[in-house]
Amino acid sequence: MNGEPLLSEGAWSVGSIWFIILAAGALTYVTRFGGHILIQLLGTIPPRASAALDAVPAAVMTAIVAPVLVSGDWAERVAIVVCTVLSFRLPLIVVVVIGTVMVAAARALLT
Amino acid sequence: MRALLPVLLAVLPFGMVYGAVAVQKGLTTAEALGFSGAIFAGASQLAALELMGIGAPIWSILLTVFALNFRHVLYSASISRHLGGFSPVQKALAFFLLVDPLFGSAEVRAAQRRLTPTFYFTYGVTLYCSWLLATLAGASFGRLIEDPDAFGLDFVLPVYFLGLVMSFRRRASFYPVAGTSLVVSVIAYWLAGPPWHVSLGGLAGIAVAAVIGPPKRQAGRETRRGVAS
Repeated sequence: MNGEPLLSEGAWSVGSIWFIILAAGALTYVTRFGGHILIQLLGTIPPRASAALDAVPAAVMTAIVAPVLVSGDWAERVAIVVCTVLSFRLPLIVVVVIGTVMVAAARALLT
Repeated sequence: MRALLPVLLAVLPFGMVYGAVAVQKGLTTAEALGFSGAIFAGASQLAALELMGIGAPIWSILLTVFALNFRHVLYSASISRHLGGFSPVQKALAFFLLVDPLFGSAEVRAAQRRLTPTFYFTYGVTLYCSWLLATLAGASFGRLIEDPDAFGLDFVLPVYFLGLVMSFRRRASFYPVAGTSLVVSVIAYWLAGPPWHVSLGGLAGIAVAAVIGPPKRQAGRETRRGVAS
């Protein structure tokens, strides 16, 4: 309990907190629905756009993972490279277990 | 469903951390659950807490949540091509549940066989309920959480995404796309910080795919190539 509670500052009434909850939820739903609406408006998807969409999962998920290489500790950096190599051969869940155990073991040994 | 196990290992501690932080910031358990139930996106929920803690104006909180979650536009554009067998009500619910791991798994599934409502909703509803339960657990026992980092649980999500990415390696122009995303994401992470590396890195990879264009097997469309480049 180190931070000052929001409510004690008087800035956030119960009503304004629930307004934020509902408005932020609605905005998030718009982002989750928005791409579908765009595709509907465009009608058929041009081949080039389709190639771009095919690349969305690989591009976005690579972008999520990439900072581990620079922001992670050494155990994480080594593990992510090893897991990249392993994933050419092994199923996903095996790679996840191996990677997690590697990082946990390294932290246990190094601290 | 064994595909869900690594995701739950990653989601549960994250949800508990969120629940604990929310209660410490002065939210009631109901409000903490409200955020999880309405937004269902951990990073933006934690960002909203942070901004509320410093007394930021409401519009800036909403704008931050919107920007952090803008990547979902890409997800829904991509996933909507695979929802042919879904009724309008099912689609509306499907988009509400569309979070990062569900998007990745659904794309992988759709690449292998038809994406069914059963698969999608089993996965999505399980994640949603787990997220609420983890929030509740975190809010209830906030200060009792042991350090999840000691078990490497914070590393589950990156390595899980890595595995999903590698499952796409046989797609057309995978290596230029992933390579570009990797480089741009790291640069954006350095220069702008999170969460911009996701949007910028992702968009860069997608742009590369658009420039390269569709695979050459669809040879009939080749005529415009000279003009386009």
